[in-house]
Amino acid sequence: MTFPFWMLIVVLATAAFSIRVLGLFAGNAIKSSRFSWMLDDLPGLIVVSLVASSLADQSIGTWIAAAAALAVAYVTNHVIWTMCVGVAAYGGLLWFGL
Amino acid sequence: MKHGAIAILPLAAGAAVYGLAFGLLAAQVGFPWWGVALMSSFVHAGSSQIVAVEQFAGTSAVAGAALAGAALNLRYIGIAASLSEVLDGLSLRMKLIAIHITGDENWALTMAERAKNSEIGAGFLIGSGIVMISVWTASTTLGAVAGSILPNLEQFGLSFAFTAAFIAMARGLWRGHANLVPWVVSFAITIGAATLGAPKAYAIVAGAVCGLAVSQIVRSRGKAAS
Repeated sequence: MTFPFWMLIVVLATAAFSIRVLGLFAGNAIKSSRFSWMLDDLPGLIVVSLVASSLADQSIGTWIAAAAALAVAYVTNHVIWTMCVGVAAYGGLLWFGL
Repeated sequence: MKHGAIAILPLAAGAAVYGLAFGLLAAQVGFPWWGVALMSSFVHAGSSQIVAVEQFAGTSAVAGAALAGAALNLRYIGIAASLSEVLDGLSLRMKLIAIHITGDENWALTMAERAKNSEIGAGFLIGSGIVMISVWTASTTLGAVAGSILPNLEQFGLSFAFTAAFIAMARGLWRGHANLVPWVVSFAITIGAATLGAPKAYAIVAGAVCGLAVSQIVRSRGKAAS
């Protein structure tokens, strides 16, 4: 493994951990400030953004599978059931060429 | 801790699929299996690693690849910030370990379970985190070792597993109608930014920040009305 490979690992690891530490200490600061409401709202907003980013530019089949997963999540509020139905729907739609 | 370790297993299975795929990609770029293992255990950020290695493959430039990978990780500022209460009472060393082994999946599962049961806390996060980082490191290493002999897992629909999991977690974090407008704005901004060509990392950050701004407006109006 040459120097650039080592450097990529070291720089990426340092950046990833620094971001986490920054968040940890920013979290403590936010908690004792008037911005503490952000701690309540951020998790949901980030998860919604993660869902959106994974659906952007995807096929209609992916969106249909996401709708199926959302319906199961709404009814069951259960991660495993949602994953099973979502993956089955996505795989099935892929099989049908959507 | 055991509760978290067991509860995360279905998500860990999904992570293993991505881990294998990432290992294959990294091996093609020239990383040895032990280099992949090192990266996975010390970086522990799946999407960030995938983006960085892809960028590295295209340009061989360390700074650009690391920057792209780190940008995808900006959301961890919010994720680590939201763990402040969960990690209360732990030593600094344990907090640093906990945030390192925290990924999207075990963080979101912890927050979703904590929303249903306030006794869920650091033990659950750490137990699930240990499983996630172990599975991620093992699967990426295995992928690098296996090379290109594995079948194309995309055809089985397993690549959708994370999206489905995030949808389920969003359901667990839903707090009622006050969330509706901020979440819709966050979703729309992220979709819009990504569709216009922004890197996904920036799209995610833009969506979350705009949602946060709208949430503040909704709260202000709620207070003014009452």
